Amino acid sequence: MEQGASTISQALIASWALVAVAFVALGIVVYVALRSRTRRGDLEKALQAFRSLDIEAFRNLVDADEEAFLRENLSPQKFRAIKRGRAWAAFLYAWEAGGAATTLAEIGHAAQRNPNPQVAASGAQVAESAFRLRLQTMRACLQLLTEVVLPDLQLRSIPPLVDQYEQSVETLFRLGRFSPGTPELQRSKKA
Amino acid sequence: MLPMNWPKVLSLFLWITPHVLLGVLAVVLYKRRLYREFAVFFVYVLYEIAEFILLFGLYSVLGVTGKPYGYAYCATLLLSIALRFGVINEVANDLFRESRFLKVSARRSLQCVTGLLLVMGVLLAVYAPGDNSAKWYAGVFVVNRGAAMVQSGLLLSLLLFSRFLGMSWRRPAFGITLGLGVLTSLDLAYSALRAEFSSGVGAEFLNLLITGVYLVCVSIWMRYLVAPEPEPVSPTAVPHDEVEIWNRELQQFLKH
Repeated sequence: MEQGASTISQALIASWALVAVAFVALGIVVYVALRSRTRRGDLEKALQAFRSLDIEAFRNLVDADEEAFLRENLSPQKFRAIKRGRAWAAFLYAWEAGGAATTLAEIGHAAQRNPNPQVAASGAQVAESAFRLRLQTMRACLQLLTEVVLPDLQLRSIPPLVDQYEQSVETLFRLGRFSPGTPELQRSKKA
Repeated sequence: MLPMNWPKVLSLFLWITPHVLLGVLAVVLYKRRLYREFAVFFVYVLYEIAEFILLFGLYSVLGVTGKPYGYAYCATLLLSIALRFGVINEVANDLFRESRFLKVSARRSLQCVTGLLLVMGVLLAVYAPGDNSAKWYAGVFVVNRGAAMVQSGLLLSLLLFSRFLGMSWRRPAFGITLGLGVLTSLDLAYSALRAEFSSGVGAEFLNLLITGVYLVCVSIWMRYLVAPEPEPVSPTAVPHDEVEIWNRELQQFLKH
């Protein structure tokens, strides 16, 4: 009898847990949907993201030789502390680069629908490389977080991220060059 | 003053109205030629109308109730679930249409998510609460619950993917996703409770609730599919001086 009552209460708890999961899913769907719809590619935001990123500093933070040097010359305890700090700083860089990639993708997508075929083609390129960059930053963030938690672990380096970032920026530059009514842009490119 | 049998009147209103709206939606889809791009959704809309005509006819005209009506309801529900999967696939294709890279990589990720959700759905159908085997009727609700979980998870993944990658939705695809997302997540809650309360006042209340949700879902589809696609914000609309600053920043960046 008691066992039956316990089974019923367990079933009820499980049902309500599913209801809670469903409402959380509904909340996320509505929130993400409304935010995605109202969000627009913000150039100012993209500029700020570029300003905040120092790609050389990032390269240095994830440099394997630098890490080997630190490992050889520091005590294990000190090395772990420094490795954590470096990995965390690199994570923040990668996170910002990811945000910039999202904005680039939005700008690229908008440009893709431009009636000018040149702008549309460049927009497609921007969006494409921004998607690649975004996925790479996500992968890099995961890898760097693992390094923060397990500093002794020797993971593979993250060079494609830097290359992809530079490629994306170059494509974005080309998009700017093709925009009609922006003679200043072409002048500065020649200069 | 409310009529004596207001629950029945409300139930009929909530049952008929969404399908009338679906009829209007089908006409809109046809007139705007959206049925070419969203063929499965168009079939789904037509199917939902046909399903309503069949069930309403059985219930109101022929007076079919009990087991025979239950059989018809469950058979049509299962086909409806299958069509919803097709609609999700269609909006995913529309979302990734402009990127060759995403067509491959994001679709692969979505396939992984689908596999994971399917395993969870099957486990849920086998182990989760509810009358899983004794009554076939309750069993169908268990299947519906698993499917609703997979479908809402897939729609959630699509929305999260698009947000993380900065992808833009086209208005019709977004509307279909949002409406279906609301419907499937509340369908999950409904099925979880329905498997538990298969009869009585609770079941009647739940029926009213889910038909109300369906009306909300159809209204979302109407809102997004009837309104025209807004003009995209083009980078050419940016003021010259702003582009100049942008250009300078990028050049500085490329010097490194």
